[in-house]
Amino acid sequence: MKEFELEPGEHVVLEARKHWFLFVIELLPYAILAIIPFALPKLLILVTPLAPYAALFQYQTPIMRALLGIWLLGTWTFAWSAFTQYFLNLWVLTNQRIVDIKQRGYFNREVSSLSLSRVQDVTTDVKGVLTSLLGIGSITVQSAGAVDEFHMYGIPRPEMMRDIILKYVSAGSNNSGV
Amino acid sequence: MPTEPLKPFSPPTALLQHFNLPSTISIGVLVTWGLYFVFAIWVLYTLVAIYHWLRYSHASWVAFPAIGIHLFLSFALMSYTLSGHVFFITAALP
Repeated sequence: MKEFELEPGEHVVLEARKHWFLFVIELLPYAILAIIPFALPKLLILVTPLAPYAALFQYQTPIMRALLGIWLLGTWTFAWSAFTQYFLNLWVLTNQRIVDIKQRGYFNREVSSLSLSRVQDVTTDVKGVLTSLLGIGSITVQSAGAVDEFHMYGIPRPEMMRDIILKYVSAGSNNSGV
Repeated sequence: MPTEPLKPFSPPTALLQHFNLPSTISIGVLVTWGLYFVFAIWVLYTLVAIYHWLRYSHASWVAFPAIGIHLFLSFALMSYTLSGHVFFITAALP
């Protein structure tokens, strides 16, 4: 890990990202954008007053081909960028702390950590039918500080993560004799 | 002050004669420069994204396949844009 050095005796327990389903939902707009140049001529034909415009979408002509290529290239690049952002957003649980890495955009990164010794309460929240079926939820980790809270949204199997956090919190408390 | 009718504007032809500018810009030249511009933006965007992958992906094995797929698909789309001969794209076209 380059962004945060592990302390002596510290090891990574698990790494979690947003649930893949939420990422697929994020990709939907790009999928729609990619389909538009192919679907639009077919839709225009269905609307009689607009039907003549369907003839404009001749992708065999160099200019329309160039426009289509640029459109698809842009759509693909932004979709790939969404994947980059999805992958670089990460929650890391070590046996001593929770690290929340937020990649809000390019050159906009926030890394914060919370020592497990300061954890007082861990709450999970799963709302909705689909999220319950897929096991997507959020976790709120309340620390000893009045304001300090860690929120993790859209993580897979939040109950499992809560149990693991609590296990290491109690293990830390036992080791320190609290 | 008496009002005078507006005189039509004429470009400084004497000045323009010193430059070897074409009288009209063809659509082909415009498209070519448009493509250069888009590709330049793509290069910049891709370099920034690759920098983030290599710096922040925590040496994950996903980094290189992700970059590789992006470059492959992007070059295929660029090739299609310029020449129109990319089998898996042209086969999908109407």
